[in-house]
Amino acid sequence: MALGLFKSSSPLTLGVELELQIVNTHDYDLVASAPDLLRLLAKKKKPWDVKPEITMSMIEMATGICEHYSDVLTQLEEIQEGMLDCADRLNIGICGGGTHGFQHWGERKIFATPRFSQLSDIYGYLAKQFTIFGQHVHVGCSDPEVSLYTLHGLSRFIPHFIALSAASPFVQGHDTGFQSARLNSVFAFPLSGRAPFVETWADFSQYFNAMAATGIVKSMKDFYWDIRPKPEYGTIEVRVMDTPLTITRAAQLAAFIQAVARYLIIERPFQPRENDYLVYTFNRFQACRFGYEGTYVDPQSNEHRTLSEEILLTLDKIEPHAIELHGDEACAALRRDVLTSSSDAALLRKEWDETASLSETVQRQCLRWRA
Amino acid sequence: MDFSFLSTGPLKFDFLMRIAIALLAASLLGEGLWRFARLPRVSGYALAGLVLGPLGLGWLDAHDLPYYRVIIDFSLTLLFFELGIQVHARWLRDNPWIIVSSLLESFLTFCAVFAALYLTQRDIRLAASVAAIAMGTSPAVIMRVVAEIRAQGQVAQRLFVLCALNVTYSVIFSKLIIGSLHGVFNGDWLAAVIHPLYLFLGSVGVGAVLALTFKWLRGFFDLSDEQGVAVLFGLLLLTLSVLEALSLPVVLAPLLAGVMVKFLDPRPHLWPRNFGTAGAILCIMLFALMGVSLTWKGIAMGGLTALALLGVRQVAKSVGVMLLGPVSGLSVRQMLALGWALSPMSAVAFLLVEDIRTLFPAFGAQVGSIVLPMMVILELLGPIVVQLALRYSGETRKKGT
Repeated sequence: MALGLFKSSSPLTLGVELELQIVNTHDYDLVASAPDLLRLLAKKKKPWDVKPEITMSMIEMATGICEHYSDVLTQLEEIQEGMLDCADRLNIGICGGGTHGFQHWGERKIFATPRFSQLSDIYGYLAKQFTIFGQHVHVGCSDPEVSLYTLHGLSRFIPHFIALSAASPFVQGHDTGFQSARLNSVFAFPLSGRAPFVETWADFSQYFNAMAATGIVKSMKDFYWDIRPKPEYGTIEVRVMDTPLTITRAAQLAAFIQAVARYLIIERPFQPRENDYLVYTFNRFQACRFGYEGTYVDPQSNEHRTLSEEILLTLDKIEPHAIELHGDEACAALRRDVLTSSSDAALLRKEWDETASLSETVQRQCLRWRA
Repeated sequence: MDFSFLSTGPLKFDFLMRIAIALLAASLLGEGLWRFARLPRVSGYALAGLVLGPLGLGWLDAHDLPYYRVIIDFSLTLLFFELGIQVHARWLRDNPWIIVSSLLESFLTFCAVFAALYLTQRDIRLAASVAAIAMGTSPAVIMRVVAEIRAQGQVAQRLFVLCALNVTYSVIFSKLIIGSLHGVFNGDWLAAVIHPLYLFLGSVGVGAVLALTFKWLRGFFDLSDEQGVAVLFGLLLLTLSVLEALSLPVVLAPLLAGVMVKFLDPRPHLWPRNFGTAGAILCIMLFALMGVSLTWKGIAMGGLTALALLGVRQVAKSVGVMLLGPVSGLSVRQMLALGWALSPMSAVAFLLVEDIRTLFPAFGAQVGSIVLPMMVILELLGPIVVQLALRYSGETRKKGT
């Protein structure tokens, strides 16, 4: 399959996808009820974008094309309400968070579509281990060159997005010590990581065709990159975030990404270079492991600072753009969280401390998602 | 040398020996069925009970029943409390179609069994009693099978709820009928009205006290650790003795208490691990003892009728579930599975027959001659049907099932 043309979309529009957990309400383990939920949602005959994911305990909801923060929030609220109504009728719980605290990957069931079955054949147990829950944010780009510029520019901010969204401290019943342990599962895939450093669509197509010729990939979907272009939508898609515990947080993150993208596109504050990526995996690891407390190495100056300092600096720089995009309130909320070291991961750890039970922690995740 | 410490005369084995043999035989047969054929262990327990009972070797019989009753009653108290905790009152509010389909399923079962029996035997009281008992599904069977294959999903979940509801109707209806028998047999109509009312309200009261005590204790104990098991056992034994002192049915109060506990405290209730072990032993006994009242004479009397009624009952239950399945949110496959999974009958039916027999021996024997063969067939085959149904619905999580 060829890469196809990059379809132009209106600049800086947003699209948000959230992968959610489906749990039972008895012990709050994951339950394979995605088909039930989809069947009930289909009866509502609404134009909501709700899709199955690779295992049957996951479900994905997505907004349409949004202009601003409030737009994202309204659309997410509407789908959430409909989904909770169906979930209540099935006596199942829906919640955010990047991982399920105590599920056993071996018990997961692959959702029976040709693509998921094929992935399961290729990746074996990795496919079931991929029962992790992320937020994806699409940012509209007017042309492919802008999309590649934005992609490489945003790469510097990947640690920011990770730390602000981190919501996966627990894996398979244990505290991992990470703020976002979810991304460790993504690393296992051979085609994960970052996009190659190419700056023109011609070069990118050439790279894609060369990869396709090797027979390893068939479409852009086969790349599990942190940020990848989505030519058929005319967007780039940021994929490193954990699904937050609330949709408000999800919308705030989208607003932050939108403001950073506007800052990059309008101010062109730096020219991306291959060497930016020297510190990329280090920074990314620090963000996953330590969150706000992690070390951030500035790819330009090689200066070291804490990620919280770096995020606050970024928030200062993008403020005029956030105001322009009506996202200043959302960014202010994120600033408060950085200043008070509040994150979803910290919240989950606190609840685990209080309840001494991961089941109960998941129950509270469900209540929080509903709030 | 004085050998008087040795037993003199022929060796005598008391009922403890018979219980021990029943436990050993049942657990070995159950484990064998599971290991070699992946069939439910409970079928093996019931099979052992039949082999040891009057139909087979005759080692266990109704003679010792008063001793066994404590085991049976306590197992049921545990089971019903556990079942109750799995029933969310909130769900019934969010999806009222589940209650409607429960009512429909039970109503159709009652009508179908009543009609079939009345048309052949022309005895209203007999038809009504058997029909009331036939409404219920065995919680013991479905809970053991669901736990054994670790089933989880809409079918397993609804199975618990429909079972809790249809057993409740079954017990109340049976008591109503016993009440009306009072009227018929003794001309005492006031007793006929007040008795079932007392049973129900009494159960609600005791259930509420149990639920509140449980919730209060949960503030001090982690009820999922070892200490918790002792506390929980003590609490349920106490409940059982109170129920018996008040002449209330053993199943309704713990069931209602479980529902109230989950309603008052929606946190996850993890069943204590050791509690599962202790509960499992009681459960083995429960199944092994179910065969004691069944004799070849009884089978000759009611066996054929029982077979016919089983067919009628299954059709009624399946149709009941199928009619409202789509509107309550089930797929066709799930509806089919749920209808079949509702088939088991066991200890509750046994107890209801016993209750009638205690009050009205001759009539009780008549009811038993039909219900007991139904129950025994379903004790052997019911678990297998439930397992197949849950496999068909794709809800098992245990390897090899």
